Amino acid sequence: LLKSCLVVIYRPETEPIEALMMEMQNPDTGIKTQTQRVLITNIPHAVAGNDIFQWILQRLQITEEEALHLGDLFVKYGYIYPLLEPKNLTLKTDGSLYRFQTPYFWPAQSWPADDTDYAIYLAKKNIKRKGILEEYEKEHYNMLNQKINYKWDFVIMQAKEQYKAGKERKKADRYALDCQERAYWLVNRAPPGMLDVLEYGLNRVTDPNEKKVNQVRQGLLVKYSEQFLSNDPILSGCLPSNPWITDDPDFWDLNAKLVEVPTRMRVERWAFNFNELIRDPKGRQNFQLFLRKEFSGENLSFWEACEDLKYGDQSKVKEKAEEIYKLFLAPGARRWINIDGTTMGITVKGLQHPHRYVLDAAQTHIYMLMKKDSYGRYLKSPVYKEMLAKAVVPQETVKKRQGPPWGLLSSAQTKPLNPCEVKVTAAAAEQRASYLQVAAGTRLVALEEAGFFLKWVFPSQDEGCVVNLGRLNCSCFLKLSMRCQSQTGWCFFLCSSSTPQPSKQERGIMDFHTIVSSKAYFQVSGKNPPADLLRVWLVFP
Amino acid sequence: MVKEECKALLDALNKVTACYRHMVLTIGGTSDSQNLREELKKTRQKAQELAVANRNKLTTVLKDKTVSKEDKAEFERLWVIFSTCLEILEIDMRRALELGHEFPLNVPKKHLIQTGMSGGTSGVAARAMSVQNMKYEAEHNIDVVDLKDLENEINQVGEMMYEMEMKVNVPQWTVEAKQDPGAELKSTISVGASSIGMISVEENKSFCDISKVLAGIIFAAVLIIAIVLAVCVVKLS
Repeated sequence: LLKSCLVVIYRPETEPIEALMMEMQNPDTGIKTQTQRVLITNIPHAVAGNDIFQWILQRLQITEEEALHLGDLFVKYGYIYPLLEPKNLTLKTDGSLYRFQTPYFWPAQSWPADDTDYAIYLAKKNIKRKGILEEYEKEHYNMLNQKINYKWDFVIMQAKEQYKAGKERKKADRYALDCQERAYWLVNRAPPGMLDVLEYGLNRVTDPNEKKVNQVRQGLLVKYSEQFLSNDPILSGCLPSNPWITDDPDFWDLNAKLVEVPTRMRVERWAFNFNELIRDPKGRQNFQLFLRKEFSGENLSFWEACEDLKYGDQSKVKEKAEEIYKLFLAPGARRWINIDGTTMGITVKGLQHPHRYVLDAAQTHIYMLMKKDSYGRYLKSPVYKEMLAKAVVPQETVKKRQGPPWGLLSSAQTKPLNPCEVKVTAAAAEQRASYLQVAAGTRLVALEEAGFFLKWVFPSQDEGCVVNLGRLNCSCFLKLSMRCQSQTGWCFFLCSSSTPQPSKQERGIMDFHTIVSSKAYFQVSGKNPPADLLRVWLVFP
Repeated sequence: MVKEECKALLDALNKVTACYRHMVLTIGGTSDSQNLREELKKTRQKAQELAVANRNKLTTVLKDKTVSKEDKAEFERLWVIFSTCLEILEIDMRRALELGHEFPLNVPKKHLIQTGMSGGTSGVAARAMSVQNMKYEAEHNIDVVDLKDLENEINQVGEMMYEMEMKVNVPQWTVEAKQDPGAELKSTISVGASSIGMISVEENKSFCDISKVLAGIIFAAVLIIAIVLAVCVVKLS
């Protein structure tokens, strides 16, 4: 219940504006339209800024200041766009002409502006303008080419076809269409220097427009915050110390996945809810000890096998599924799990065509069984209490930060790789510069959630450069790219062991325990690419 | 052989999707009409047929173990193009549904948005359906009647996509694009300016084109005269 509470977010509403837009079209009570003349063509339905302003004033009976502000918002959000100065998204109360945007391009919560569409738009513009894009558009283009490279062939195909289809329309309509599209993307991918109106602040968990507060949801949120307050390292600090501040990685060592003796905070967290226990490998280990005493250890083993099936190597799905069936599900199996007849039926049927989620129903059943039945007893058991007593409370240490930032990563477990010096020449700068290879078999992380750094340094003083950090090709997952615009910088790539499929977020949450082979490449572009050395490190905590 | 067939099918789906996008953009604007709604219906049904054909062909090929490694990579690339195209189509269908509800055509109080459009989309529709001219045979209230069908079709497409996700295991992110950035510029797109507007700065360009044509004509004329004169000189001497 709490999880779903955290997933729904509320953003500013748009329905009232849309209703007003429709009223403006009324031939009797709406805004009067004019014809815009472009070279030898007439395009209808232009409206003067002043007419818009006056109409709002009359219709809503508000002050002039408010009416101007509201009209201005209509333009900023893209319901109306200016004809003469497309980038100037303000409402002028003179004869400046505007036009109404087509409903498809109205800003709406459920249809955020998509990267793929933007890429198609830029490719189309490339075709129409024969390669003349604005600087910021070129940067977006290159960035998208890397970010969604696997879709790029489609992007080009679709751009060409949309362009050709557009030719089937009459000239004036084509012009209006171009203006519409341009206006939409000026709002949704604001050029540098323009205000990004769609930035509405933080995502809210509760609906700010609701008249009465949803007590249940709010109550859950409050309870969650209170419960986890002491565990939040930013709000409550962490012991022995915050590694980012003191350069002391003890905190990570003490909280390693399967550390001998876990910290007290961690063990207490297992009592918050069942999910906390089962998501922590140490918690599972302890829970398994308890379950063995109750002769229901096969439940947790089955659950873990299901997780491995979901998140493990997909080429082995068939074998894994068969093994699981033989061990846990077949009649007379060695570690037979107790699930109801319907679920068993569904599962066995699904196993004829196995895929990663084929055991979901059974897994959920077993999860709920453990949660409702075993979990409660576990928390009262001597196994748990012993662990709680053994758990360590680290002493707080305060160490001053010494030396350069990457020094903090040298400890027994870290191994900074040899810095790879990548030479960047002016000619090569526009293309992919070079590769940094990571040796196969490198173990990545000991922690549940940690990551690795990519650090780069330009020795020269060139301000105009952009380093596009390219894809990291792992044996599995995500390609991501991040743009960093500075001479020296750090980029932290977060890795987590619990994402089944690559997440579509910008920061890129990757899942790998062992790198098979990794390549990162660097594309340097900009006005004055340096002719110097670009140093790159891959560093692991 | 199979590769060519797959590519052709994919090109067809891509074309229809692009045309559908053009039409969905028009809903709610002044070019909206019962005809447009009929065009939308026919186009999306054609798109769905093509989608099913694509899916069948590609899944057969992807399941075939005897395919070589390079071929498999190529088919996986086509699969990614196909599923992306289908995503776009599904989103546009959903938008068409939402916009269709928001802008019913026969309600006197609801006015269409004056978007500056005045022409129709029959050319686009004809392109999608691969016919010379569109024939309109639907009822006068298709804008309302069709919405239920559209909803059902959206569910069907959604189910198809879910099945595809589950049954075919192609890791999208391992596909590398064949086309480089800027590839769209290299193909021979007709040079004729597609829109007058964007060329407010490039008015010179159209003049240059005209003057180039004039120069060409004059040159040709001079050449002909020179040849005629040369022939005369030869004849006289």
